Amino acid sequence: MSAVALVVLVIEVVAAALLAPLVTGVIQTTKARLQGRLGPSPFQPYRELRRLWGKSCVNPAGTTVLYRLAPAVVVAAVVCCLVVVAAAVLPPAIPLARPLGSDFILILGLLALARVAVALSAWDTGQGFGLLGAARDLFVAISAEVLMMLTLVLAALPAGSTDLRDMHAAGLGTHPWQNAAHWCGLVAFSLVAITEMGRQPVDNPDTHLELTMIHEGPLLEYAGRDLAYLQWAAAAKHVIMISLLIGIFLPLAGDEPVQIAATLAWFVVVVVGVAFAESFLAKMRLLRVPAFLATGSVVALVGLVTWFVVPAS
Amino acid sequence: MAGLACTAAALLLLGTVVAGWSRTLRFGLWLQVAGMAVAAVVATAVMVTGVPLGSAFVSGISPALGLDPLSAFFVLVISVPAVPVLIYATASLAGQHRAGVIGVLTGAFLGAMLLVTCARDISTFLAGWELMTLIPAAAILVHRTDREARQTVFIYLALTHLGGTGVWLSMILLSEAGVLADPTRFAGQAVVLQWAVWIAALIGFGVKAGLMPFHVWLPRAHPVAPSHLSALMSGVMLKVAIYGLVRILFFWATPVPTAIGLAVVVLGAVSCVGGITYALFQRELKRLLAFSSIENVGIIALGLGAALLLEMGGQPLWASLAFAAALLHTLNHAVFKSLLFLGAGSVQRAVHSLGIDHLGGLSRRMPWTAAFFILGAIAIAGLPPLNGFVSEWLTLQSLIQVALDGGGVPWSGPLAAAILAATAALAALCFVKVIGLVFLGQPRTPSATAASEVPMAMRVGPGILAGLCVVLGLLPALLLPALAGLRGGPVEVPEHLGLQLPGTGGLPPLALAVALVMLVIALARLRRGHPVAEETPPWTCGGTVEPSLAWTSSAFTKPLRLSWDVLLRPVRDIKVRVRGGITQELSYRGEVPHVFDTKVYEPVANSLSRAFARVRRLQSGLLRSYASFLVALVALLLLVVRLGGIG
Repeated sequence: MSAVALVVLVIEVVAAALLAPLVTGVIQTTKARLQGRLGPSPFQPYRELRRLWGKSCVNPAGTTVLYRLAPAVVVAAVVCCLVVVAAAVLPPAIPLARPLGSDFILILGLLALARVAVALSAWDTGQGFGLLGAARDLFVAISAEVLMMLTLVLAALPAGSTDLRDMHAAGLGTHPWQNAAHWCGLVAFSLVAITEMGRQPVDNPDTHLELTMIHEGPLLEYAGRDLAYLQWAAAAKHVIMISLLIGIFLPLAGDEPVQIAATLAWFVVVVVGVAFAESFLAKMRLLRVPAFLATGSVVALVGLVTWFVVPAS
Repeated sequence: MAGLACTAAALLLLGTVVAGWSRTLRFGLWLQVAGMAVAAVVATAVMVTGVPLGSAFVSGISPALGLDPLSAFFVLVISVPAVPVLIYATASLAGQHRAGVIGVLTGAFLGAMLLVTCARDISTFLAGWELMTLIPAAAILVHRTDREARQTVFIYLALTHLGGTGVWLSMILLSEAGVLADPTRFAGQAVVLQWAVWIAALIGFGVKAGLMPFHVWLPRAHPVAPSHLSALMSGVMLKVAIYGLVRILFFWATPVPTAIGLAVVVLGAVSCVGGITYALFQRELKRLLAFSSIENVGIIALGLGAALLLEMGGQPLWASLAFAAALLHTLNHAVFKSLLFLGAGSVQRAVHSLGIDHLGGLSRRMPWTAAFFILGAIAIAGLPPLNGFVSEWLTLQSLIQVALDGGGVPWSGPLAAAILAATAALAALCFVKVIGLVFLGQPRTPSATAASEVPMAMRVGPGILAGLCVVLGLLPALLLPALAGLRGGPVEVPEHLGLQLPGTGGLPPLALAVALVMLVIALARLRRGHPVAEETPPWTCGGTVEPSLAWTSSAFTKPLRLSWDVLLRPVRDIKVRVRGGITQELSYRGEVPHVFDTKVYEPVANSLSRAFARVRRLQSGLLRSYASFLVALVALLLLVVRLGGIG
C-alpha cells in the first residue's frame, strides 16, 4: 500500500463525505424548480446539519445502549461502504489503497448492518411509528437484496470477478453498449438505487406523515447530533448508490482526466435525473413495491438469459 | 495421540455414568466437559498434522474406529459447542425433574455422535447413527410426559426411521461393493446401483439434516427437548448428517453427475428460503430457532452443491473453497445456534414462557444473557463483521463462480445466489424481530417484569460461544486453507488474512471489524461530550406506551404476510359477539399454517391410515378365513411354479 494510493483513497472518501449533503440539496432544489417554486438553496442540508450539531440529543425513557449506539453504527457502516465504493469509480490506472478490499458483496452486508441498527433502535423505543418504518424498511430490503444480487452477477459475468475495480475495468474495455446484459443490468440497478436511496416512487424523503414513511419513521425520536449522523448517512447512501451505478454500468473509455470528468458529468446527470423522476412519479403503495422490484428482477433475468444464450462477443 | 483419544473417550464414559446420581450429577457433567475438551484437542492435532489415527475405512462388518482429518473436523464441530453447552447444563439441570437421567443421556448422545464420525466400518456407523436418533427421543420422554411430547416423539421416530432407510440402503450398498475401503471401485459399479446410492443418501441424510421438504419432524422435536439438548440437536446433530452426506458425495460415491449436484443446490435453496420464511411466523422462540436451523442447513447444502458443480466445471480451487464455505458455515452454525438455544433456555427459566409476544424488556433484567443472545442473533443474521457473514460471503462467492463456469448448469448459480440474498434479508427481519420482542421495549407480562438474571454457569456457556462467534468472524483465514484441504487434491489456497481470493475483491474481516469499532467509538464519544436533553417518553401522538398496545410479532411481519399470501395462505379468524347492538366480545386468531404439514404430509398420512383401516378388515379373527387365505396362497404359489415363475 503506497503513500500515493492511500492519499488517493483519503481524498476520494473525504470528498464523497463532504459532497453527500450537496447531492440531496441539489435534488431538492431541482424538484422545487420543476414544481414552479424557488425552493431552498442546494446548500440547505449543510445548514441543517450545522443546526442539528449544536442541539442536544434526546434519550427516550427506557431505551438502552442499542438506541444510543445506532446512529454511530449507521455512520460507521456507511463510511466503510464509501471506502469500498471508492474502487468503483476511479480509473484503473490510478493506484488506490483498499484497506477493506473492494468486493461488492461487502456493500450488501454493510447496508444491511445499517438497516438492522436502525430497526433495533426502533424496537428499543417501542413506539409504533418507528417500528412501522423499520418493518417496512426490512420488508422492502428483501426484494431489493435479491435484485441487487442479480445485477451484481450481471456485472460480474463479463468481469469474471466481484471485485469493483475489475467490474469497472470490464465496463471500460468492452463497449458496454453492445451487450444486452449490460443494458438490463443498468435498468435493474437503477431500480435498486432508487429503493436504497429512499426516493419516490418507493419512499418519499420529504414527507413527515407517519403513516406513509419508511426511512424517516425510526428517525422520529432522534434529535441533535444523533439526527445529524442519520441525515448525513442518508445523504451518503445517495453517493454510494450513484457511484455504483456510474462506476459499473455507465463507464466511459478514455484517458484518466477524461474518465474522471465523465464520471463527474454522469454524477450531475444522474442527480438531476433523480429529481426529474421524483417529479413525475407518485409514491406507490407499500405492497406494490415488491412488484416494482420484481419487474427489475425480470429485466435482470432477461439479461442473464441473453448472457448465457448469446455470450458477449 | 491415540492415548489422548482413549482418555477423552474414558472421561466421557465415566462422566456419563457418574452423572446418573443426582448427588454427583454436576461432577459427572464436568467430567464430560473434560472429555469433550480433550476430544477437541485430539481433533485439532489430527487436522493440523494431517496424520490419521487408528484404523482406515474397512468394507467388512468387523468394528473399527479411526480419525482422519475430515472426521476430526466434525469431531471439532461436536466437541467445541459441547463444552459450553455442558457447562451450561451443570446449572440448568440442577434441581430439575429426573436430572440424573438426562445427564446420562446427554453424555450418551455426545458419545453416539462421536461414534458416527469416528466409525470406520458400516456396523459401527449404523449403530452410532441409530443411537444418535434414539437417545434424544428418550431424553424428550424423560423430560416431558404430556401428550404433545409423546406425539412429537412418535413423529420424530417415524420420520427419521423412514429416512434412516435411505442411510442404511446407501451405506449397505457401498459397503457391499467394497467402496468404503477403496472408493475407486465405485466408478465400476452398475449405473442403477450408483443412482440408488445417490438418491438414497440424499433422502436419508437429508431427512436427518432437516432439508426441506424432509424437515417436518425437526421444528416439532427440537423445541420440546431440554434447552441444552435442543442446542446439541440443532447445533450439532444436524451436522453429523452433513458429515454423512459429505462422505458419500465427495469421497465414496464419486464422481457425482450434474443432476445430483443440481439437486443438492435446489434442496439447499428451498430449505434456506423456506426455513427462514416459516421461522418468521413462529410464536414460540425455540420453534422459531428450529426453523432457522433448516435455513442454515440449506446454506450449507448450497455450499456443498456449488462445490460439486464447480468440480464438474473444472475449477478445483473454487470447488475446494465452496467446500470450505460449507464446512465453515457448519462450524459457525454449530456455535451460534447452540448459543441462541442456550439463551432461549435462560429466558424460559427466568420468565417461564417462550411465547415471543409475552416477553419484552429483558435486556435490563438479564443484561448478560441479552448481550450474548443479541450477538448470536446478529451473527446468525449474517451481518458483518461476525462469523455468519464470512461463511455466507464465501457461499455467495462460490455460487457466483458457478455462474462463471458451473459444469453445464451455470444459470443455477445466479438464481441460488439471489435466493441466498433473499434469505439473508429475511433472516435480518426475523432476528431483529426476535431481539426486539424478547429483549427490548417494555415487558409485556407480569412474569417478564419479574424476570431476573440466571446463575453464573448459565452465563459462562453462552459467553464462551459468543466469544467464538467473534473469533471465527475475525480470523476465518486461519481455518480456510485447512478446510479447503479437506476435500483432497492438490489445491493451493492463497493464505492471506484478508481472504484475497481470486475472482473476488477480498474480504479483510479483521480490518473491517477494527474500522467499524473505531468509528463507532469515535462517533459515540463525539455525541457523549455534548449536552443531552432530559429523558422523555417516546412519542406516541400524546398517548402513553402501554404494554398491551405494543407491537407484536405478527404486526412486524404483516407486510410480508400480505404480499406473500398466495404462498403462505395465512388463516385469520375473527369472532365478534354482538348483543343489543353493542359488541360484547371480540376474539382474534391468526396464524400461518405450515404448508408442508397441511398440504403434503397430512393428506399422505390420512390416506395411509384409511388404506390400513381397509387392510385391517382382512384380520377378521375367524379361523376359516385365515385357513382360506392359506389355501389361496398355496394355490397361487403352485400356479406360479406351474407357469415357470419359480424354480
